[in-house]
Amino acid sequence: MPEGRLHYQDHLEALEKNCLGGLDLVIAALDRTMEAVEHQDTELAELVIADDDRIDGRYLEVHQEILTLLATQAPVATDLRLISALLHVMHSIERMGDQCVNISKVIPLTGYDAPVHSEMIDRIRLMGKQARTMVSQSKKAFEGRDVELARDLVRQDDLIDNLNKECFQIAVQVGDDPDTREWAMTMMLVARAIERIGDNAVDIGEQVAFVVTGLFREFEDASHPGRETLPSG
Amino acid sequence: MPETADTTKTDTDSALQTDLAKTAEQASKRGTDKVERVAKRFTVKSLNLYYGDFHAVHDVTMRIEPNQVTALIGSSGCGKTTVLRSLNRMHELTPGARVEGEVELDDQDIYASNVDAVEVRRLVGMVFQAPNPFPTMSVYENVAAGLTLNRKVSKSEKDDIVERSLRGSHLWDEVKDRLHRKGSALSGGQQQRLCIARATAVQPEVLLMDEPCSALDPVATLAVEDLIEDLKSRYTIVIVTHNMQQAARVSDSTAFFNLEAPGQPGHLVEIDATDKIFTTPSQKETEDYVSGRFG
Repeated sequence: MPEGRLHYQDHLEALEKNCLGGLDLVIAALDRTMEAVEHQDTELAELVIADDDRIDGRYLEVHQEILTLLATQAPVATDLRLISALLHVMHSIERMGDQCVNISKVIPLTGYDAPVHSEMIDRIRLMGKQARTMVSQSKKAFEGRDVELARDLVRQDDLIDNLNKECFQIAVQVGDDPDTREWAMTMMLVARAIERIGDNAVDIGEQVAFVVTGLFREFEDASHPGRETLPSG
Repeated sequence: MPETADTTKTDTDSALQTDLAKTAEQASKRGTDKVERVAKRFTVKSLNLYYGDFHAVHDVTMRIEPNQVTALIGSSGCGKTTVLRSLNRMHELTPGARVEGEVELDDQDIYASNVDAVEVRRLVGMVFQAPNPFPTMSVYENVAAGLTLNRKVSKSEKDDIVERSLRGSHLWDEVKDRLHRKGSALSGGQQQRLCIARATAVQPEVLLMDEPCSALDPVATLAVEDLIEDLKSRYTIVIVTHNMQQAARVSDSTAFFNLEAPGQPGHLVEIDATDKIFTTPSQKETEDYVSGRFG
């Protein structure tokens, strides 16, 4: 039988590409953000804040495309699940962009010559690197409809969570110097924002599983840590 | 050998029971909120339909739940209308047509030798694609046409049934002042609702609808769809439609039929709760059809 609805299929593919392209914008924003954190580069931080409009714009664009497809094409089955998933993914992308903005906003608070505590900044650097890997992996998993790769994001996220906890311990024991304490508290805000980016990448992974299986389950139940809710395989 | 035959039958029955239990459970989740009258259930087992030598439908096994709307969908020639027509023994009216397998209405096999086909058609009414009121009869006469076939009906009883049927078909308010004008003078949508009133006047158990809205404009279509939603509180409804959005809107269960190739018999690919068919169908064939990827 002839293949049908070719324009519609093109439209769907373009929508997915446009949405997942938002993850490239997040990676670019995250790279700049981490560089700004490392070098206390307030100008670069301002650039990240200004550029977030691109991610917000992408969100609005994808949202409008989704509304148009729903209104005009009545998608069903996998197409419907894909569109629903893309709406969630785009929301996660927008949140990741906002986390980069949140980090960039606190960089000026650390001051020009901050009392950098090397153990803590090393961990934050590692967290940023790990978050970048996760964002990239979430995109690859979605593009390939790879549920195993998506599930692996949970393992990757554990690394970020552990680093975040270590940062907290360091911050608690950072000493009596008020400037260093203030810097450490600011860095905790940074660590928390990066940790949220990791969570958003896991959320995208859950949408991969939804598109493929038709079942929506959180990979891990936040209120019951350690309890996996989606059978593997 | 009897042993082999028994084993095969048991396996078929067991598979059927599993399928049926699944269908019933899923369909009941969307079932009718209010059931005014419990209608009858169809159980179709290993149904094969032929037109002479041509094998039109191959081995259909499914259950059609009472007081629910079951939509039959599939591309042209896949046998869905043939299956529909076999449910009230209209298939056999075509010369050379024959039926193998069982079609049970509750526990009664409608093809059993002691069953009268006319009585089956009273219990299982049909609404056709194009509205077909009797052209020379008035609105009133159209609705009352089937009432006197089997028994004598008094004028007052007939009045009551006509009014009840027209009200049940959402038509009473539009025609109550012109009951004695020709039915064919009504609009297309009104004529189709008149045909539904005629079909329900004889108190059937099941209403079969063969693309009942394909000749209607969107407003009349929505009126008939609303009517179908109300009718399932009293009847079991089976609808054949080419409009998948209509199947999605009006039905509780959807059965997808397909052909392996032109000239091959149609077969049932799957039957499931409508929301499942349109979100996560079990079969790729169904997925491709409902999302318009093929044909």
